[in-house]
Amino acid sequence: MTSASPALKPPFAADHRDSLSTTLSRMLRNGGLMAAVVLYTLYAALPFLWIGTMSVRTTAEISANHFAWPETFHWEKFRIAWVDSNFAQYFWNSTIVVVSAVAIVTLLGAAAAHCLARYNFRGNRLVYFILFSSIVFPPQIILISLFQVLVEYDLYNSRLGLMIVYVSLQLPLTVYLLEGFFARIPQDLFDAAKMDGYSDFEIFWRIVLPVGMPAIATTIILNFIQLWNEFLFAVVLLSDQGARTLPIGIRAYMGDYFQDIGMIATGMMIAVIPVVVLYAFFSEKLIQGMTAGAVK
Amino acid sequence: MSDPSSGAAAALRRTLASWLSAPEADSRRASLPTVMLFLAPALLVYAALTAYPVLRTFYNSFFNVADLASSEFVGWTHYAEVFKDKTFWAAVRNTAIWSVIGPVLDVVAGLLLALCLYAGVPFSRFLRVAWFTPVLLSYVVVGIMWVWIYNYDWGVVNGLLRAVGLQAWSQAWLGDPRFALGSLIVTHAWKWAGFNMVVCLAALHSLPSEVLEAAELDNCGWWHKLTDVIVPMLWPTLLNLYILAFIGKMKVFDLVWIMTEGGPVWSTETVSTYVYKRAFNWNTFDLGYPSAIAVVWFFVVVGFVVFFNVLFRRRERMEY
Repeated sequence: MTSASPALKPPFAADHRDSLSTTLSRMLRNGGLMAAVVLYTLYAALPFLWIGTMSVRTTAEISANHFAWPETFHWEKFRIAWVDSNFAQYFWNSTIVVVSAVAIVTLLGAAAAHCLARYNFRGNRLVYFILFSSIVFPPQIILISLFQVLVEYDLYNSRLGLMIVYVSLQLPLTVYLLEGFFARIPQDLFDAAKMDGYSDFEIFWRIVLPVGMPAIATTIILNFIQLWNEFLFAVVLLSDQGARTLPIGIRAYMGDYFQDIGMIATGMMIAVIPVVVLYAFFSEKLIQGMTAGAVK
Repeated sequence: MSDPSSGAAAALRRTLASWLSAPEADSRRASLPTVMLFLAPALLVYAALTAYPVLRTFYNSFFNVADLASSEFVGWTHYAEVFKDKTFWAAVRNTAIWSVIGPVLDVVAGLLLALCLYAGVPFSRFLRVAWFTPVLLSYVVVGIMWVWIYNYDWGVVNGLLRAVGLQAWSQAWLGDPRFALGSLIVTHAWKWAGFNMVVCLAALHSLPSEVLEAAELDNCGWWHKLTDVIVPMLWPTLLNLYILAFIGKMKVFDLVWIMTEGGPVWSTETVSTYVYKRAFNWNTFDLGYPSAIAVVWFFVVVGFVVFFNVLFRRRERMEY
């Protein structure tokens, strides 16, 4: 916080009285600005870099000096975490659960959003409001009874159970974002398609989905990141080691091997790498996705 | 939903269809089967995994659910107990502090970062991406990272304090009830500042540049420019971000659970962690009492949302 406050000075420096003092103060202010920018960048990025270096150092090396640059890069730690410490299992659990949940929620959400955006029927806004309103619910209001429901239907501790819960968690936001976008697709497009003999379903499948792809891609990214990082529902609905997702796996690993901080860091990197790879390719899209709905 | 055969069902169907379709005849009209084709799957998921669980939590809150097979009706007992529960009130207090102070930090940091980028610092494209990165990390990663940063013996914070000769200030940041909550709030702000920055930046870019140029010509100092021009013009955005963060913080769980589990001595307990603890982590297994807390908190959160909506209702929201 404090490191960023000098940043206020330069953008609006406008003092025309004395050119020398203006120049001087502007340099000073620019120096202050640059210092603030550098400090904040270090503050934002160094923790991450630190975990990165720890992930390729052994715990003994880390204990000797917590902040040293790795002398030898122990890449084999990734193999050990992947194979011996079950991170491969956690990784695939996360992948299966999240990818299928995102695929399903995208389809269901797009269909519902299309219907709400395109058709006039009584109760349209009521349905929209009901679906959308659960965005603000605190998770506890469904958490405890979802636990009961999943136990009763034998879905507790299963990836399938977590997956359908994830679909329901992301459904309101998906419908909300896509409805806003689909409503802006011109009606003429649909009328023309109808005249060409397209059925309602064909219109959705062959026009709305392709035309809406930019918005759909945004919701896919948003849903993927949120579910990939999801912790609360996974920790309640999974206890079996074989079903754990990455966040739960890392957290459990931290509990079991509290001293082995080098290996915990390796596990953290395994969880972060897919996000970083996505970020490298789609940074604009990702930022758009994460802030969608907040930027008007 | 397809053609029912009996007369009564057909009448019902006609009534339903007329009720559910718009009166005017236009190309946006759709039959009930068409509507349901698109809407039914989503509604089914919503009914089974949101609506039903919400109702069941309300129902649970009037019972002792000591094991999943049987339950015992206790009426309003749990609610009476909630309001006498000291730990619950400690959790409410912490959550309230967090919800009010946290968003200020997030929004102010976001605005300052956005101003830096708006002022055209070098490498601003790179910085925008770099500053946004923490938003994408999971709470588990952020939490463990910051547990280490706050570590008493070798954490970065104490390391820096010792390096500049302020040994006396070094603390067990997460182990001391006086500092634990503040430390969590700082970590949370670290994660979310980038989000607020992007939103503020978008708002800044949509401001009319003439206003800023006029302020420039009027020899307006940077402080006045900020407080008299930029903040008032961005006020709707800032308020929106504040409310968004406020509601988010009413639900905060993950970071607390990973970093402190609500300790030491309930100094970082939030309502969410307390519900979780009472439901799944307490030695007395009862789902009824935590359900009652969840219901109380549900009404608090929804109440705030309604309050904010009434207070700051925007024109576009009224176009239903």
